[in-house]
Amino acid sequence: MWGSNMSPKDRVMNTLKKKEVDRLPVFSGMGNVTVAGMQKYGIDFSSSHADATMMATLACSTYELFGFECAVVPFDLCVEAEALGCEVNLYAGKQNILYPTIKTKILKVGEELHVPENLLEQGRIPLVEEAISLCKKKLNGEVAVGSYILGPFTLAGQILDLNDLLKSSFKKPKEVEALLGQLVEPLVDIANAFHEAGADYITVREMGAPSDVISPRMFKTLVQPYLKDTIAGIKAPTILHMCGDTNMLVEMLHECGASAISVEQKNDVAATRSKLGEEAVILGNLDAYGVIVKGTTEDVESAVKAAIDAGVDGIMPGCDIWPEVPGENMHALISATEKCGAKS
Amino acid sequence: MTEDKKQLLEQMRKSVIEFEEDRVKELAQKWIDLGYDANEAIFEGLAAGMEVVGELFAKNEYFVPEVLMCADALYAGLDILRPHIKAEDRAETKGVVVIGTVEGDVHDIGKNLVKLMFEVAGFEVHDLGKDVPLEKFVEEQLRTDADLVCLSAMMTTTMPGMKRVIEMIRERNPNVKIMIGGAPVTEKTVEMYGADATGEDAASALGEAINMVASLREMKRKKEI
Repeated sequence: MWGSNMSPKDRVMNTLKKKEVDRLPVFSGMGNVTVAGMQKYGIDFSSSHADATMMATLACSTYELFGFECAVVPFDLCVEAEALGCEVNLYAGKQNILYPTIKTKILKVGEELHVPENLLEQGRIPLVEEAISLCKKKLNGEVAVGSYILGPFTLAGQILDLNDLLKSSFKKPKEVEALLGQLVEPLVDIANAFHEAGADYITVREMGAPSDVISPRMFKTLVQPYLKDTIAGIKAPTILHMCGDTNMLVEMLHECGASAISVEQKNDVAATRSKLGEEAVILGNLDAYGVIVKGTTEDVESAVKAAIDAGVDGIMPGCDIWPEVPGENMHALISATEKCGAKS
Repeated sequence: MTEDKKQLLEQMRKSVIEFEEDRVKELAQKWIDLGYDANEAIFEGLAAGMEVVGELFAKNEYFVPEVLMCADALYAGLDILRPHIKAEDRAETKGVVVIGTVEGDVHDIGKNLVKLMFEVAGFEVHDLGKDVPLEKFVEEQLRTDADLVCLSAMMTTTMPGMKRVIEMIRERNPNVKIMIGGAPVTEKTVEMYGADATGEDAASALGEAINMVASLREMKRKKEI
């Protein structure tokens, strides 16, 4: 009924709203910059984190080169922590691809968090906003622009020593709860600023809390309440993404109230679908490294088919696409979705 | 073995499992005051407890916070027992290990547990920390003449750095054993990167670290027979 007239953006946005689509979208809520894009525009990865034009150029290049149906900025997980005062290592000048990391932690459990009054002017937040508007301009309403924030627990792991956070979550949960509560408002403000700058959807990445790391019980008492509050505050359609083992958590993830949930290859999507019902929007669950980077084009195609058969509403890699992805696998990812994802 | 000794070991084991740090300290001190062999308490008390912790982790009864607290309890006991290890046990050094998390990766929980296991087993450990520039591993191996280099990466994005370290080390010193570990590392990675080994439970750096105690205790037992 749509013919080929449906734009990638409508396909993505309709999927997030559980409205009709001509076929499943293939996109991501996370980073999808590729070495092919870097080579085409002569931009190196480490420079792109500190330059809005480079960031936008690379983000849009994955659609231009392969037809991957979104542009997502930023590419690293340090933006919020940096705005809150952490020092970040961008690995400037390094030739190999290294994602930025936090150099200095700003807080210990039990200490008071000081959120800068002009939070939205801190660190690279204005730069990411600019990159979002540049993507928007470049893609001209044809393709959706996405951005992301961390979930409160994962952000806490960036601004605090992770050992300290994990042990305190057990020994001093009240103090951890107080901190997570304080992180909700800054996260919501940042997400809404990205939305106002032009992001069509926002992904909340709570990768620090799968059941490879903490118990489902702790997820429920400590993580879920603040995730719910964060998602409730965001004005854009939202995707809640969690990597790792989420099989015991999917109902709780769904309860968080995001427009969609996104899971990785450790999730049994068919079981998740039957737990959550037809109304839930489930995105996933391609192995971003083992299949998309290391697999053959046939592996990619069968993984796409398996995800669709299991019941996903959109094809999404389980993590950031590793930039050194072979071009033929990116093409296979898109063509397999076109082939297998049609809605009759 | 006297009843008293057996009981103490059992309590030590249990206190590690239940992450009762202060209780472990008390028991270790009592063990020393009674003049028993420190090494026996380390292996049959502390490490035996950690082995159960590994099983609980594998069964999804324990998660990372619990394992970290058990490791703290183990360390507390180790600090008291270690100075009392008999000279003949001490002389029998198992080897020298260089360990660290590769550049770009700031995850060190798994690495720290592996380190703990090597310390328990009596290795001389040189810990380079996290986010370690690749060349640093090569330099440290040469400086310490280490028998074993352990590389950790928790992210698929930092894993390729391990391959480069392995190549650099092999070039200078083909006989060094290299172990790699971390959530994304599998037997296939070991082969692809030319490393020597990874833990049995490659899906989890923690499980991997704890599995090593089990095999070390096994080795020790065999030697005694």
